[in-house]
Amino acid sequence: MRHVIFRLDKERYALPLSAIREVVVPPGQFTRVPRSPPSVRGVINLRGRVVTVVELRSLLGLPEPSPASQKIVLLDRGRRDLGLLVTEVDGIESIEKVAPAPGKPAASVRGVARLKGLAVTVLDPDGVDGAVAACFAR
Amino acid sequence: MPVDMSKYLSLFVTEATEHLESLGRDLVELEKTGGTASIDSMFRHAHSVKGMAASMGFEVAATLAHRVEDLVDAVRSDASLLDRELVDLLLSTTDTLLSQVRAAAEGQPPEDSGPIERQLSERLARITGRSPSPTKVAQATARPSAPPVPPAAPKAPAPAEKENPQERDAGLGLPPRFGLKVRIAQSCAVPGVRAFLVHKRLSGLGNVFDLKPALEDLKAGRIPDGLVSLELETSAGEAGVRGALGNISEVEVLSLKPVVFTAPSPPAPMPSPESAKVVGHEAARTVRVRTELLDYFLDTAGELLLATARIREVGKALPARSQPSLDEAVDRLHGLVKDLHDKVMKARMTPLSVITDRLPRAARDIARRRERDVDLVVTGADIELDRAILDDLADPLLHLLRNCIDHGIESPEERAAQKKGARGRVLVSVRRARDRVVVEIEDDGRGMDPEKLKAAALARGLITAEVAGRLSDAEAYTLCCLPGVSTARDVSEISGRGVGMDAVKRAVESVGGTLEIESERGRGTRFILKLPLTVAVVNLLLVAVGEEIFGLPIAKVIGAVEAEAGTLSRSREAALLPYAGSLLPVHPMADLLGIPDLPRVGPRPFVVMEAESGRVALAVDRLLGQEEVVLKALSRPLDLVPGLSGVTILGTGRPVFILDVPRLLAA
Amino acid sequence: MAKRVLVVDDAIFMRNMIKDIFSSGGFEVVGEAANGLEAVEKYKELKPDLTTMDIVMPFKSGIEATREIVKHDTNAVVIMCSALGQESLVMEAIEAGAADFIVKPFRAEDVLAVVKKVVGEA
Repeated sequence: MRHVIFRLDKERYALPLSAIREVVVPPGQFTRVPRSPPSVRGVINLRGRVVTVVELRSLLGLPEPSPASQKIVLLDRGRRDLGLLVTEVDGIESIEKVAPAPGKPAASVRGVARLKGLAVTVLDPDGVDGAVAACFAR
Repeated sequence: MPVDMSKYLSLFVTEATEHLESLGRDLVELEKTGGTASIDSMFRHAHSVKGMAASMGFEVAATLAHRVEDLVDAVRSDASLLDRELVDLLLSTTDTLLSQVRAAAEGQPPEDSGPIERQLSERLARITGRSPSPTKVAQATARPSAPPVPPAAPKAPAPAEKENPQERDAGLGLPPRFGLKVRIAQSCAVPGVRAFLVHKRLSGLGNVFDLKPALEDLKAGRIPDGLVSLELETSAGEAGVRGALGNISEVEVLSLKPVVFTAPSPPAPMPSPESAKVVGHEAARTVRVRTELLDYFLDTAGELLLATARIREVGKALPARSQPSLDEAVDRLHGLVKDLHDKVMKARMTPLSVITDRLPRAARDIARRRERDVDLVVTGADIELDRAILDDLADPLLHLLRNCIDHGIESPEERAAQKKGARGRVLVSVRRARDRVVVEIEDDGRGMDPEKLKAAALARGLITAEVAGRLSDAEAYTLCCLPGVSTARDVSEISGRGVGMDAVKRAVESVGGTLEIESERGRGTRFILKLPLTVAVVNLLLVAVGEEIFGLPIAKVIGAVEAEAGTLSRSREAALLPYAGSLLPVHPMADLLGIPDLPRVGPRPFVVMEAESGRVALAVDRLLGQEEVVLKALSRPLDLVPGLSGVTILGTGRPVFILDVPRLLAA
Repeated sequence: MAKRVLVVDDAIFMRNMIKDIFSSGGFEVVGEAANGLEAVEKYKELKPDLTTMDIVMPFKSGIEATREIVKHDTNAVVIMCSALGQESLVMEAIEAGAADFIVKPFRAEDVLAVVKKVVGEA
């Protein structure tokens, strides 16, 4: 299956291409969402749609980013509008074999794969979606 | 030429679902009224589902629908067969079919329906005394070797056999007679009908004699080897006869030759076929549009409005001499787009019956489970609402109905003791009141106890004793909508109001509606939902808080004043704003929204609004003016944020949240 | 010139399927109707070469509609779309003037074979 490969800092991650609508450059300003969890950067106007943008790094419980996030990966979740801030998008690669990730299982993570000898964490779009909802519900 | 069925799947799912839901409604209606009016429509629904499922190759569903069809057909000839047990069986079959349709939609295999199918077959065998006929589905037809299905016995009384359909003019002598032998193809699924068509076609040419097999056997499909022979008296000639048969499929002419005239049998009068009963009705000319498409239209029309506002904004930077012509063009564009938007809104209007139609079935199920006898009356369901509101209303309505039956309506014994009729009554009425739609759900049950509700809310620390003392009964009823109270088991049992009222209230308010509750002990409870017709366009007061902009619905704003911080009164630590002769509690908006407050000196604006507990003053940083905007519903996860009721995009392109102040204060 | 067809069925699902079958067979579907009443109106308006008619429909059955159409135009070619188990209804429709019938579930080649034969193209 074809996956979009992107980085959070130096770590490589993947999401199925079928789950992604597009990749956009963040605007200069976000509209802040009042009383939202810290992972939520805000909302943006994307051609008339209001898209919620979440710092993926913070959603996955990783430390704060050193370089600023450069791209927004837009998930294609039906009518939902959800964007994930990532450091950079590298491209599209085919990933077939996904092994269970070491450590305790997380709904956002499907597993790990090897791509040209390097490890890639393969994310689960539904899990990511669920994690966003969960962080709001807290 | 194989037909790719997958492209029909979504249509199959919608239509089959509609038919099955209607079937369920008809069943409940039929059981209630005992009338026969809905039997034909039930038959049609079952029949349609069978046909669709068979065409899609969903054998299990087709078979179930076929059994339902057979049972309904049996009921059609003897309404007394429809007892509670049969209704239960048919309803659960309908449910099974619905879940099979859902499974099909998701590409899942159907759930096992063997047991229910056996029940249906047994029931059918008991009623009709014969075993059910197999159901033919699409895959089966792909093989010409499929076993022929024995046709069912004719349902309508067969018209009398007619061998001499036309009166002959004896004075002109008799036309020539032909002997004819034809064979119906083995592959023909319904040889009886095929042969009947042959007979009919030939009868049109002249008179048929010596038909073998006899017409009755022929129609019943009892045609050994598919062979049919007859004599035909016609002036059409051999070519005419061949021509008449030449365009019938699955028929082969084995021989056709003239015969010597023998004495004709006497003519018999032609029976006039019973015409089917016709209900005069002007069919509405409608097209079906997918709801996503309607949503898309609304989004796009809304975005056009926004884009127009944006052009107006950008135009302000143009030199003054270009302004008038630009303004004129933008005004015209705005007018057109507004008109388009209105039309789209109108197209989205959907009658409430779309959701109330499910209630009778639900009422029956809930009442049976609780061993209650309940009559449900629905009025005014033809009133229309925007479908976005309807979608959000389906669950709350169901919930309120369940609440009325579960907790409102007493057991028959209890009702008898209260000198009430044994059957409880739930009335769902819908009416228009100016620009709102009012939906009331009312039971004649035991009513709510305001004291018990207050005690429960008090016990959970949701209100103080002081507040509890001040609450009127009407206010106390709304306590059941507080999360802790509504989920408390003892309350649901003692005061008779159940779980999830907070969810109902939230859903109603999220579409811009209100929920009121009236109740009288021993007499019943009434839930009143006041809903807007549409959600899409709202008038906002835009305010700046820190660096952010928010919208407040003008409808809820009472006024705005400027005041120096020093002029505020203070009661303990809370600030109070003097306004129209009273002191209003002040809430700094920045605190409510979790936004860093800017240090400031001098007067600041306050917006006075209506909240649950009365009027409040909201301290903001600047008033930016009034604007009519297109409201966008909050998509997940924004809908999880308490205190937001929607979002819009301003002419500048900036997204702005619309605040639900009462909820913001409560959260 | 392609033969002009009117498709009558209360299920959109069925109408679409029948329409596709006809289009694939080189016919031109000129109209559709969802019930018997509409069928008669549409017939008068469009004068199609061929009409496919469902039997069990709301407002007015396919049989009644066929009767009215044939009364209006004795050369009307109406093909009943029936299901197994509806034999007696189909016969009633034939009495009412239907030219032929096809049996659900449809297979494109069967439908086209029947229809082409009826309109004399086979």
